[in-house]
Amino acid sequence: MSLELSMHTRPQVPLEAELLGPDKTLGLDSKAVSGLQIQHGNEQVTVGDFFKVKGKGEGAIHLEGDLARVKLLGSGMTTGKLHIHGDVGEHLGVGMSGGEITVDGNAGDWVGPEMAGGRIVIKGNAKHLAGSAYRGSAAGMLGGEIFIHGHAKNEIGHGMRNGLIVIGGNAGDFTGVNMLAGTIVVLGEMGIRSGAGMKRGSIITMNPAEMLPTFSYDCIYHPVYLRLLFRALRTQGFNISDAKLTGKYQRWSGDSVELNKGEILVFTP
Amino acid sequence: MAENTRIVKNATCTFCGCVCDDMELTVDLDKKVITKAKNACVLGRAWFAEHQIDDRPVAMIDGKEAPLEEAIEEAAQVLVNAKFPITYGLSDTTCEAQKQAVAISDIIRGTIDTTTSVCHGPSGLAFQDIGESTSTLGEVKNRADLVIYWGGNPAESHPRHFRYSVTPKGMFIPNGKKDRTVVMIDVRKTPSAPVADILIQVKPGKDFELLWALRALVKGRKVDPQIQVMTGVPLETMTDLVERMKNCRFGVLFFGMGLTMTRGRHFNSGALLALATDLNEFTHFVAKPVRGHGNVTGADNVVSWQTGYPFGVNFSRGFPRFNPGEFTTVDTLTRGDADAALIIASDPASNFPKAAIEHLKKIPVISLDTKETSTSKLSHVAFATSTYGINTAGTVYRMDDVPIPLRPAFESPYPGDEEILFAIKKRVHELILSKCGATGATGEARVASKLML
Repeated sequence: MSLELSMHTRPQVPLEAELLGPDKTLGLDSKAVSGLQIQHGNEQVTVGDFFKVKGKGEGAIHLEGDLARVKLLGSGMTTGKLHIHGDVGEHLGVGMSGGEITVDGNAGDWVGPEMAGGRIVIKGNAKHLAGSAYRGSAAGMLGGEIFIHGHAKNEIGHGMRNGLIVIGGNAGDFTGVNMLAGTIVVLGEMGIRSGAGMKRGSIITMNPAEMLPTFSYDCIYHPVYLRLLFRALRTQGFNISDAKLTGKYQRWSGDSVELNKGEILVFTP
Repeated sequence: MAENTRIVKNATCTFCGCVCDDMELTVDLDKKVITKAKNACVLGRAWFAEHQIDDRPVAMIDGKEAPLEEAIEEAAQVLVNAKFPITYGLSDTTCEAQKQAVAISDIIRGTIDTTTSVCHGPSGLAFQDIGESTSTLGEVKNRADLVIYWGGNPAESHPRHFRYSVTPKGMFIPNGKKDRTVVMIDVRKTPSAPVADILIQVKPGKDFELLWALRALVKGRKVDPQIQVMTGVPLETMTDLVERMKNCRFGVLFFGMGLTMTRGRHFNSGALLALATDLNEFTHFVAKPVRGHGNVTGADNVVSWQTGYPFGVNFSRGFPRFNPGEFTTVDTLTRGDADAALIIASDPASNFPKAAIEHLKKIPVISLDTKETSTSKLSHVAFATSTYGINTAGTVYRMDDVPIPLRPAFESPYPGDEEILFAIKKRVHELILSKCGATGATGEARVASKLML
């Protein structure tokens, strides 16, 4: 039986619950989970102060309620499944290396910062800095997958070193800024200044995008790997037409103020 | 001239980040007014003339006059009982007062932020990302032969800034202005434009693209002439500027909020700092933000040397965490996270976004200000304080991180910010110790409790 947590009291101030992950609750019964300490503003409280807990920790957690003020869920997660039936706050899946997080609603800033593996699926929208590096940190996401079916805001994949981020809707400005490697796919519109300072890596967009003066046009072609990637994304529920699957893409390389080994692929109907 | 007159030489003006320390103030001690401020600019003269002694209660609780001790007790109780208290402001007070405010935030496990977060906060992030090639304004005066202002209008915002960067004769600049090339880069022709030898008008919101193209040219990369369509600046102008930058002896980039608070924010500042870094391959180049409030640079310095970070610092867990966007005041108020606020020498209720002001109205606010403001009017506890630099001594930092002492002109019947904050700190400390016990306290309270034992 999985662990089910239902919020009975809405936190007045941010609740930081990094202990709520399937691996950290493995083998714990509902009483033990209720007694786990979490941070409510500047005081320590227990999970039971805010959540009604049912079941036993066997590798899967279901969370229900208004979790928009709950931060750091699934931090450092290594295995198991975390399903959030609603919205969730900032810092979801910080530095996770395995397992899967699913959010039925919207997520706050910093989804999967510096994650190394595993998968995060956001069925609604996410805010800024998904898969990015923390301020002052050299590298962002190191591996794993972030699938955002709705829109995302600025600095997606900031400093990303590896892994895959897919945005089903629109992305804000500075997508893939300072990117070191990895892949970002934006199926909707992409904001300006994408790939600024990128060293390597691929940014793929389905709509015309304004390029920085430090990106240069290479050619128009059909990269074979896109067909494989898009087929895999279709199985994840992303709507990708046959025209995009088999179509041609402009290739721009940059950023010339850095290594100039990154690429932005723009679908050309 | 009035009979009871005092002349204060080498007084310091704390209106803007220039912190000019060559004022000669004539003070009418009977009326407690500054009648003349020699050497002050138009902004400085207004600053000295405006700050007279108001007739306000020293402390008010819910709009009613209250004894100072009672107001301090009430403020301390509010802060100690809050779960996510925020401290904000600090740019118009002394470093000594700022230090007390950081200590309070540490003891109550709150969040401390300064007005930096709504002006040069993006530059703070960029300093962390890129680094800063820096100098004092004195070095600029004595050495700089190429001065570039980007996104600022110093003639109106910092009228005496030019005495460091444009007009003066320096050790290696014997002919003053004649030996310097001044470049203004802005989206419009401002009143600062007449001092410029070269004026470059960039399309609004295209500063980053222009900076990025300049970086590419400095590194010897090819840039498409179509850049003119994007930025409004011809490639030849950029090439000429790059040659001047690479061939100068000492270059300086001064940047203002026209760069930091437009689309791109910290990346705009970061691009400019990266350009300065690139140019150090060829010559000596520095980049300095032109700071606004009198001691906002001091706020950055004090919060940095006490917490390790310049603004947007949270102590909820007993140790400092820095995350602009999460712990900066506009964000904590807009999201409705904060449940109490200590506002020092600032008026967020008049200039924050509506959602933030609405939340500020819902929570208990403690304010310290020299004047009645929109914030003091909605405050649960409002303290009237004396003005730093005019009534209160202390230290402030000039925009180039040089600390400068204050020489007050006349005494005020109101206490200084430091005095009130120290009293709140003392009481908060006592309350936390009694609430948590000596071993349960954290941060400064814990250290102090051990000392007391």
